[in-house]
Amino acid sequence: MSDVQVETPTVADFARTFRRIQAEIHKLIIGHEQAVEELLSALFAGGHVLIEGVPGTGKTTLVKTLGLALNLSFNRIQFTVDLMPADITGTRVILSGDDGRREFSFQPGPVFCHILLGDEINRATPKTQSALLEAMAELQVTVSGTTYRLKPPYFVMATLNPIEMEGTYPLPEAQLDRFLFKVRLNYPGEGELTRIISSTTGPEEAGIEAVFHATEAAERIEALKRLVREVMVAPAMEIYAARLVRTTQPQNSRFVTDEARAVHDEMVNRYVMFGSSPRGAQALILGAKVRALLDGRANIAREDIEHVAVAALAHRIMLNYAALSDGIDAAQIVERVIKSVRAGKP
Amino acid sequence: MSFPSQDRRADEKLGRILGRVGSVRTRLNSLALQHAIFYTLALAIAGGAAVYAGAFLLSPLAFMVGTPALVIVAAIGIASAVGAAWRMRASAVRAAAIADDRAELKGRLSTIVALANHQTRGSLWSYLLEDAIGYQDQFAAARIERRRVSRAIYPLAGAIVLAALAIPISKIKHAPRITPGSGQDDLTVDLDDLHLRPADPGDESGMEVTADAATMRRLGDRLAREGAAGDEAGGNSLNHLVNRARDMAEHLQNKLTGQQTASKQRLNLRLADAGGDQDQNEIHRAPETQKNRHSDVAGQFKQDQPKSNREIDLPSEDDSRQPNSEPSPGGNDESGAEANSGEDSPANQDNSATDRRIQQSGQNAGNGGATHGIGADPDSLFGAPAVSKLGSEGFEIAIEARPVDHGAKGAGHAYVAPKVRAPLSLNQEPDEPVARAAVPAEDRTTIRRVFER
Repeated sequence: MSDVQVETPTVADFARTFRRIQAEIHKLIIGHEQAVEELLSALFAGGHVLIEGVPGTGKTTLVKTLGLALNLSFNRIQFTVDLMPADITGTRVILSGDDGRREFSFQPGPVFCHILLGDEINRATPKTQSALLEAMAELQVTVSGTTYRLKPPYFVMATLNPIEMEGTYPLPEAQLDRFLFKVRLNYPGEGELTRIISSTTGPEEAGIEAVFHATEAAERIEALKRLVREVMVAPAMEIYAARLVRTTQPQNSRFVTDEARAVHDEMVNRYVMFGSSPRGAQALILGAKVRALLDGRANIAREDIEHVAVAALAHRIMLNYAALSDGIDAAQIVERVIKSVRAGKP
Repeated sequence: MSFPSQDRRADEKLGRILGRVGSVRTRLNSLALQHAIFYTLALAIAGGAAVYAGAFLLSPLAFMVGTPALVIVAAIGIASAVGAAWRMRASAVRAAAIADDRAELKGRLSTIVALANHQTRGSLWSYLLEDAIGYQDQFAAARIERRRVSRAIYPLAGAIVLAALAIPISKIKHAPRITPGSGQDDLTVDLDDLHLRPADPGDESGMEVTADAATMRRLGDRLAREGAAGDEAGGNSLNHLVNRARDMAEHLQNKLTGQQTASKQRLNLRLADAGGDQDQNEIHRAPETQKNRHSDVAGQFKQDQPKSNREIDLPSEDDSRQPNSEPSPGGNDESGAEANSGEDSPANQDNSATDRRIQQSGQNAGNGGATHGIGADPDSLFGAPAVSKLGSEGFEIAIEARPVDHGAKGAGHAYVAPKVRAPLSLNQEPDEPVARAAVPAEDRTTIRRVFER
């Protein structure tokens, strides 16, 4: 951590900075407003993002643009089937010193940065995918028994290609759970596509202006993350978030011990194999805090939780074969859960 | 780090916000209380009005069934209203949540109220207070809840209107009941169609029946048969309970309608015929004006007016003459015509010819009843009538007889079921009047004296 001192941001500072970063990103990224907002929300909430989108929708461009706008160090890993964990975390190599002595020295891998893009993460083997677990959760990497700290802010964005599933390795549930949000990038509309064509095929490239100075970018972002944590949460909101998460869990699950739940949903019981983990509730509250600050509030509201519910919970819900055969996806389940909980609110 | 002056200002703002939330809570709780009170009153008033109107409009049986059902419904409604009011009551947190929803404050007040007593409130606490105080006009009690009076006032007003309507309704419409001095026209009831039962011990409400000994004997036999049939059916106790419940309902009805139950009705019965083989007995309840004329017709059961409760209904002078006269077809027709005219012939005119013939034959039998019934009873023929054994035992028969309304024409006349008689076969001969035994000459004076008295 550098010794740069930044003044404590206010609620207005947060919203202003957030909107400015958004504006810089949208200089290059046409459309995807919600995806960009969720991406930045995850950044300031201190989480990581899984981006799912078909090829050509600007996944990599989005991440690169974010790195440029934030003026933070940025690395990219193209996950392939032969990628090894050491290729990500780094490894110890024998180096010769000036005096001719040879000794093992740790060569940091691409995870040592502020913003990491794991492109097509589902193409690597689970072993390699799991190499990211410690870095994402603990902000540290252990190689050969030695633990190396990662510099905050640390933000991992992994992309998934949902249509080329052959030769891919679906992410383990434990790793999926470590992503705060899952952001979906769909095909742009006709108007957006026209703007993409005109802005990317001309002689001029859109210039991204960094929002922060390189020396204070990390500190400023960390201060904003601390402000997010200061947002107050009424007990009723915590109960609401907890109830949402509990309602995603099917009644017949052997891992559900509390049968006396306030809300039951038949759709969940029918289509869900496993519901959201407690990390889902944390993601709901953190995302809602960012939303509240963007709205100029120091407290979260029910609407904030509901706004981030799909991004925070959908990838944590495991559907069964009945859902696949009936064409039900997790986002539909989350929306149904919101309706059920809202209808059954005390 | 905050300064004491900043803390004091924050506390002032917090107090102002909590005060507004408190006034919202007071108004919400006031409405909840009004909801409970108004609905309870509305249900009580509407239920009372319905019971009051039902006392006038319904028969005792319908009243007996309807009133408890109404009371149960009203009790459930009151419990539901009180429960709803209990759920409507607002704690401070709930009042803040309601204010948040209605003023679209997005949880600001809820958060403040919930965290007001927390020791650690975070660095954004003062910002939250400042932010919320900026919306103080939006969460004033008058804006959060405009009403000072609960909407439950409308059901209460409706119940009061209903209660006000029940009074004229009860005055307009009365249930047709046998009441003393009600001026009811003749009432002809087949004894076999009557449900007879002994009066309950200590029950002062039934109708006292007086009759000559033969009539009372027949009624007693019938009552015994009914009692035996009830015992055989095993429903005696159930009937007893139903009767008691009906009596209670009637008693309540009488109390509500203000009718006098103390003046016991008195029904004077006469046999329609003297022979026990005749299957049709009739009860006639004649108005005062037609009393003498109907008393000519033997075999009618007549109800006395209250003022003549203690009078013994004896045949008039005409009656004394008729038994002595031989029954002739012409005379019978004449008396039958009299009876028909006394029974408001328009109702009977509507009946078919067969019915008319049956009525006439019934009247003929009635004449015979006068001669063979009362006249042939030695107890009443010679000397003063002995007090009936059944009557001396305080025997009471509660009779519920209800006239069937045939419209404007035959008002007050009960429907007499037509009798169908098959034509005589070749081997049969029509019944001849039985030759009457001659009254000894020395007894004629006595008989005349008896009838004159």
